[in-house]
Amino acid sequence: MGPAPTGEQLCGAIGEPEVMEPALEGTGKEGKKASSRKRTLAEPPAKGLLQPVKLSRAELYKEPTNEELNHLRETEILFHSSLLRLQVEELLKEVRLSEKKKDRIDAFLREVNQRVVRVPSVPETELTDQAWLPAGVRVPLHQVPYAVKGCFRFLPPAQVTVVGSYLLGTCIRPDINVDVALTMPREILQDKDGLNQRYFRKRALYLAHLAHHLAQDPLFGSVCFSYTNGCHLKPSLLLRPRGKDERLVTVRLHPCPPPDFFRPCRLLPTKNNVRSAWYRGQSPAGDGSPEPPTPHYNTWVLQDTALESHLQLLSTMLGSAQGLKDGVALLKVWLRQRELDKGQGGFTGFLVSMLVVFLVSTHKIHTTMSGYQVLRSVLQFLATTDLTVNGISLCLSSDPSLPALADFHQAFSVVFLDSSGRLNLCADVTASTYHQVQYEARLSMTLLDSRADDGFQLLLMTPKPMIRAFDHVLHLHPLSRLQAACHRLKLWPELQDNGGDYVSAALGPLTTLLEQGLGTRLKLLAHSRPPVPEWGISQDPPKHKDSGSLTLGLLLRPEGLTSVLELGPEADQPEAAKFRQFWGFRSELRRFQDGAIREAVVWEAASMSQKRLIPHQVVTHLLALHTDIPETCVHYVGGPLDALIQGLKQTSSTGEEALAVAVCCYDDLSRLLWGLEGLPLTVSAVQGAHPVLRYTEVFPPTPVRPASSFYEPLQERSSLLPRLDKPCPAYVEPMTVVCHLEGSGQWPQDAEAVQRVRAAFQLRLAELLTQQHGLQCCATATHTDVLKDGFVFRIRVAYQREPQILKEVQSPEGMISLRDTPASLHLERDTRQLPLLTSALHGLQQQHPAFSGVARLAKRWVRAQLLGEDFTDESLDLVAAALFLHPEPFTPPSSPQVGFLRFLYLVSTFDWKNNPLIVNLNNELTVEEQVEIRSGFLAARTQLPVMVIVTPQDRKHSVWTQDGPSAQILQQLVVLAAEALPMLEKQLMDPRGPGDIRTVFRPPLDIYDVLIRLSPRHIPRHRQAVDSPAASFCRGLLSQPGPSSLMPVLGYDPPQLYLMQLREAFGDLALFFYDQHGGEVIGVLWKPTSFQPQPFKASSTKGRMVMSRGGELVMVPNVEAILEDFAVLGEGLVQTVEARSERWTV
Amino acid sequence: EPMERRPLPPHDPPGHPSPPISFPAIPIKFSEKQQASHYLYVRAHGVRQGTKSTWPQKRTLFVLNVPPYCTEESLSRLLSSCGLVQSVELQEKPDLAESPKESRSKFFHPKPVPGFQVAYVVFQKPSGVSAALALKGPLLVSTESHPVKSGIHKWISDYADSVPDPEALRVEVDTFMEAYDQKIAEEEAKAKEEEGVPDEEGWVKVTRRGRRPVLPRTEAASLRVLERERRKRARKELLNFYAWQHRESKMEHLAQLRKKFEEDKQRIELLRAQRKFRPY
Repeated sequence: MGPAPTGEQLCGAIGEPEVMEPALEGTGKEGKKASSRKRTLAEPPAKGLLQPVKLSRAELYKEPTNEELNHLRETEILFHSSLLRLQVEELLKEVRLSEKKKDRIDAFLREVNQRVVRVPSVPETELTDQAWLPAGVRVPLHQVPYAVKGCFRFLPPAQVTVVGSYLLGTCIRPDINVDVALTMPREILQDKDGLNQRYFRKRALYLAHLAHHLAQDPLFGSVCFSYTNGCHLKPSLLLRPRGKDERLVTVRLHPCPPPDFFRPCRLLPTKNNVRSAWYRGQSPAGDGSPEPPTPHYNTWVLQDTALESHLQLLSTMLGSAQGLKDGVALLKVWLRQRELDKGQGGFTGFLVSMLVVFLVSTHKIHTTMSGYQVLRSVLQFLATTDLTVNGISLCLSSDPSLPALADFHQAFSVVFLDSSGRLNLCADVTASTYHQVQYEARLSMTLLDSRADDGFQLLLMTPKPMIRAFDHVLHLHPLSRLQAACHRLKLWPELQDNGGDYVSAALGPLTTLLEQGLGTRLKLLAHSRPPVPEWGISQDPPKHKDSGSLTLGLLLRPEGLTSVLELGPEADQPEAAKFRQFWGFRSELRRFQDGAIREAVVWEAASMSQKRLIPHQVVTHLLALHTDIPETCVHYVGGPLDALIQGLKQTSSTGEEALAVAVCCYDDLSRLLWGLEGLPLTVSAVQGAHPVLRYTEVFPPTPVRPASSFYEPLQERSSLLPRLDKPCPAYVEPMTVVCHLEGSGQWPQDAEAVQRVRAAFQLRLAELLTQQHGLQCCATATHTDVLKDGFVFRIRVAYQREPQILKEVQSPEGMISLRDTPASLHLERDTRQLPLLTSALHGLQQQHPAFSGVARLAKRWVRAQLLGEDFTDESLDLVAAALFLHPEPFTPPSSPQVGFLRFLYLVSTFDWKNNPLIVNLNNELTVEEQVEIRSGFLAARTQLPVMVIVTPQDRKHSVWTQDGPSAQILQQLVVLAAEALPMLEKQLMDPRGPGDIRTVFRPPLDIYDVLIRLSPRHIPRHRQAVDSPAASFCRGLLSQPGPSSLMPVLGYDPPQLYLMQLREAFGDLALFFYDQHGGEVIGVLWKPTSFQPQPFKASSTKGRMVMSRGGELVMVPNVEAILEDFAVLGEGLVQTVEARSERWTV
Repeated sequence: EPMERRPLPPHDPPGHPSPPISFPAIPIKFSEKQQASHYLYVRAHGVRQGTKSTWPQKRTLFVLNVPPYCTEESLSRLLSSCGLVQSVELQEKPDLAESPKESRSKFFHPKPVPGFQVAYVVFQKPSGVSAALALKGPLLVSTESHPVKSGIHKWISDYADSVPDPEALRVEVDTFMEAYDQKIAEEEAKAKEEEGVPDEEGWVKVTRRGRRPVLPRTEAASLRVLERERRKRARKELLNFYAWQHRESKMEHLAQLRKKFEEDKQRIELLRAQRKFRPY
């Protein structure tokens, strides 16, 4: 029909991957990423797929050379395995700076040097007289208070030196920074410049003048200010080359004093260098009391004096040892993946370099070690050493004038002294940050020790952003609130020390307060480090509050989350007052069962989900009580996703309770079955085989109480029927239970006869349950439905030998062998594997209470994307279980939110083509077995499904993914997850609140060729929709138990019945997508391959018609008639059929 | 050249080359409301010489592309205008052998959801077939006088039909088991009769019955025996006893390492190609 030649249009429709094309459309970058992924998909299967290695015998058994033996030995000693060695080498290649780029950077540095020494001088003026500064530049420092003594003049630097990692060769891409120290001439400085920020003022003015001149130079692409390590008193000047190298390198200029200008004894942590009289305009309270020490201020001055000596130390220790340098580079990557190195007070690359030096000097690291060994040793050291308690020092001198480590512990939370013994390298690192480093190191060590195959990937290649690493996060916004908090906490000396940086001053006390309050609920509390801003030279420096928000991450302890009580001391104990003071009005006297009268705090929480959110109550209460931070400033992100798995009526619960009620009812039923009298064979086992019984049903069942007027009763079979004149009744899905009988030789050995005997058992079971327990039952040939307490169970009697009977094949010689048949596999899956899986996951839920929430959110999301039909319930449950059983590099999630984010991450990054997802339920698989499974997987890859999930019970076949998804559907899921993850993370990390959390759950509809809109009247689960309708139809349920004891309408879901018919009739021509949880629309995608004209064949006429094309007769789908069929088959249910594309027209 | 969207007329327009197929098309619609129609492709049922077919030659009409809402009854009604219809059989795909006429149990073999099917329509007289081949249509499946249920109507009535009748099931099971028991008893009696009686070549079949049966002739059992033998042999063997054994096991270790190294290299190569070594 279109103007383009038919041939071309057809080409566009050829090839399965194109089906998903519209889904890949995205903005800019994403589109590109997706298209490259698509390309890999379209490639022949051999490419991008690991092949089993085949080496000839001659190659395998040839005489080894010396070189080879050495290499092998080295690998064995220095690295974990050859794979790890290769991986580390590749990674280093990727992050290391190439020689070519180094040359370009060197050239740029020479230019910078020339420019800097040629900046003209300025005559001397008072520090407060800044009129000489040109108009285009602002002083990069908040001068509060403004008045300060002293004079300033600009003279070109006496010396320009490159310091830091660049010279050592340990700097890593992509952000290459070169630190350059500019030694200010002695003439600029005066005595007592160490006092009252005078030195810092001069330093800032020095930079301002430099900036003004350098900005006019065409050599530089950008000239701007930043803070050195985030310290607000110490700006630095950033220079970037113009042109294509702009992103290559950033040169940071740090002015520093001439050597020996400051007397080190004046800068000890116990000394004061910011006078209260000057800073606060008042002398300290009660004359005569000493000035508070200013340890941080002193450290910042000291840092400037030690730049060169640190470089010298590092280059002598690391200089010639490549292994150490590699180790430092690996450590930097490790830190960066954990976001530990960035921001103010981060655990920087410089710190780990110094740590390596320390370990070398204490002989814990040898210079011949490999990078991997250095990484391991440093992690081991960090994991086992608490620098917040036992500081370390690089200083070897035993000079008595040096301060003791204890003095430093008094002043700083983390102590690591440099070789002078006076400078604490970790002065800005908070205790929380260090504990986080320690925690990460410990996790990494367990990972390295576990001999996991993909340790490298998890350790160095997996990013751990805060939102994905912590169970809950909370944002404090706006930050200006912290200023008031500082006053409330009486932190004036700290403010004086920090130069007015109230964020840093408040951080320590704040985290301590929350850690104490959260107590046993908390495993780890971490805080984001304020980002280091950059600003143009004509702008004022950013204020403290401009650094956005402060984000705290909470890693919760699942055991601690079940209690609603904070138990305090007994009322007459002296600690009681302290407890009362800490908890304020929430503390009450309570009498306990053992007779004790104690102080206690009780939080309001009835359901599991509310208990999970008790930390929210704790945090808001304590912050308001102790720091005057009101609730409106605390944006707690712990449960916004809960809304997606909340039922309709219980908005306070995420369904764990309702599931537990159903499971409890099932337990009762299984007891009844065990005790049943009169069955020819006794019951030997009752096993659940339904998502409800493993806590993973998205919407838990509620007891059914049918209103009889709503139904057509079928009295003689004691059942209810749906009525034509009423809306579709509520959807009731029976819960499958498998019932095994004791062994007996009486069973027939013929498949048809076994079926009949089983049917007889089903009938008998129904009869007995009705007789002995008065339960409403309904038996069919394959199952017995039982109505108990409003829940409907579907009992399936299983005979252990039946799968075997179905498998038996007799060879002509009379030998009986077992061969899998579809029927036997199906039966085995339903009666053996499914109950095993259900009980294993039920156990997992007992261990990890968040499992239910995660699995249900994940399933809900997949279904909301209309892909639910292609993934079995069990496969998605197993993926969710993998997040708990193999959480590395994280820990098992304790909240549905973080679990769901990791689910999206796993789905979007897992390489299904080359790896099976091993879910080691109950830890049954040994490491050796896992290796065997992996190699077996590679050998059999082409025969396996696209998505392979291995469990201890199912090591080869991946039963739950046998029938789907197809490669295209899986790809679609991967693309959707890759889009949803950053979007959702951005929403959750937005300090002003996440906004509409349902965005990522709404499916894209523009990719479908036809949309079939359904009438809500006949969608029984309409209210479960992602965007829950404001009003829906009555579904014939009573709120109180009614008189009717008839069997309710079971499994009657018109959309599902409709889909079944559609797939049966048009499955060859189209794919159908639907969200079973209240979807109002069915998406239809035509299969392009089926739309190619085909020659007439009796076997492929389905829904097609004959057309003549160029004199030839061919078959094409009869689209007009099919579209009308959509409406005919769904009469009453279908509202409209919208054909949205004309893709089928040829 | 753009294509014509036109159904193939039952008889070719003059000037067109004769089509390679001999299937006239009969338009069929669900009801009058529908605009477009599907096409039944019909042909007199005939088979190649030598092939067995149970459908009566000359009286059977073979119909392709029967829409899902079209039941056996409605097809029978629609074609009755051509002559008296003896039987209609709907199948998923063409099948020459007649489907088992014995009605399959509705309890144990529920009817599958229908898609597009093929039909074998047997007329009482051969004239019915030729009349059907000339049918112009369009046929209407559901008319006011003979409505066919679809959508909600159909699902509700299907649900009502599916509500099980335990009595009927019991009766069916009992009859089946009776017949089965009888069959087994007969077989046993026959086996007993044959026992000790030589067949025409003089072989005597001996069966052991008793509390401890002999090893069954199954594949699994024979594999088990072989495995046991192998283990017995392995237990007797000495490891790394002779120098050559030692040398060989060392070489084997080296070969393993080499193989692993090659595998790792391949893995790395793949990861590098996917740019998987970019840490951020």
